[in-house]
Amino acid sequence: MNPSADELVQQYLRGLERELRGLPRSRRSELLEEVREHIAAALAEMKSPSAADVRTLLERMGDPAEIAAEAGSRIAHRPARAGLVEVGALVLLPLGGLLLPVVGWFAGVILLWASSAWSSRDKLIGTFLVPGGLALPVFALFMVGGETCAGVEVRDGRTGALVQANEQCSGGPSTSVEVLYFGGIIAAVVLTLGSAMYLALKLRRSSSTAQPV
Amino acid sequence: MSNDENARGGLPAQMRRGVLEYCVMALLRDDERYGFELVRELAQVDGMVTSEGTIYPLLSRLRRDGLVETRWRESPSGPPRRYYRLTGPGVRALERFRQEWARFRATVDQFIEEERSEPIS
Repeated sequence: MNPSADELVQQYLRGLERELRGLPRSRRSELLEEVREHIAAALAEMKSPSAADVRTLLERMGDPAEIAAEAGSRIAHRPARAGLVEVGALVLLPLGGLLLPVVGWFAGVILLWASSAWSSRDKLIGTFLVPGGLALPVFALFMVGGETCAGVEVRDGRTGALVQANEQCSGGPSTSVEVLYFGGIIAAVVLTLGSAMYLALKLRRSSSTAQPV
Repeated sequence: MSNDENARGGLPAQMRRGVLEYCVMALLRDDERYGFELVRELAQVDGMVTSEGTIYPLLSRLRRDGLVETRWRESPSGPPRRYYRLTGPGVRALERFRQEWARFRATVDQFIEEERSEPIS
């Protein structure tokens, strides 16, 4: 098989891979492998396929967009389950870290990636927005401080009686840093809950009826 | 519906796709076959398969719906092949289609044949 024929096949497969990008990785690689083998089997049957032969074959294989459409057309018919795995992920991702630090959130991540109800992109969003879930901002809330306060007593020099008692605090974050800090905490909470809602919405949408091709 | 589909004889693409999976299932009822074999048989009928590559997503879908099952078998020339075969539910679904199709065909024939027998005044 001369180089240009091989290059044609590679080009075709690359194009197909691009079109299939919307599919979950296992389906995509399985489909690509099947098409690749089909092409190889067809070529093996020809004695010395010319570039023209290869072109004809690839045309018979069909437009990658059409193959991708066929692969995606009933993706919504999958029994899209809001099953135990999905519910577990939706609960543990924001809240797991509060129940059991790190491990709880991590369990949510495992469930998220184990589920077949979400695309890889959605899973990435669920993992990194925000890592640790609500545990992080809640923890940060309790970390506020850093100022040291000392009690100051003023006593009468003669009688030793307490005249005044003050507390003097110094150190600690300035107001602007505090604002940023709390702003960050609020943002993290919003993002965490937002990503959980996003995942829940995606779940509901994928269980609706088939999308038109 | 594009113009060249009409040129192909008036059968809309949707209809071809709809029956194609039952034709595939029919081929898998009594024998197990692998993808390449299936395409070759289907391609013998002109216009049955417009895009050979679409067989694979179709088969994958049938598998997910539980209508076909697969197993791997060694091939004399190359990597192991995935062979497809109808499952019990697949056989039943095919049978249901066969009855529906017979009814449908009879109904359509009625209209089409009536058209022909009516003289155009």
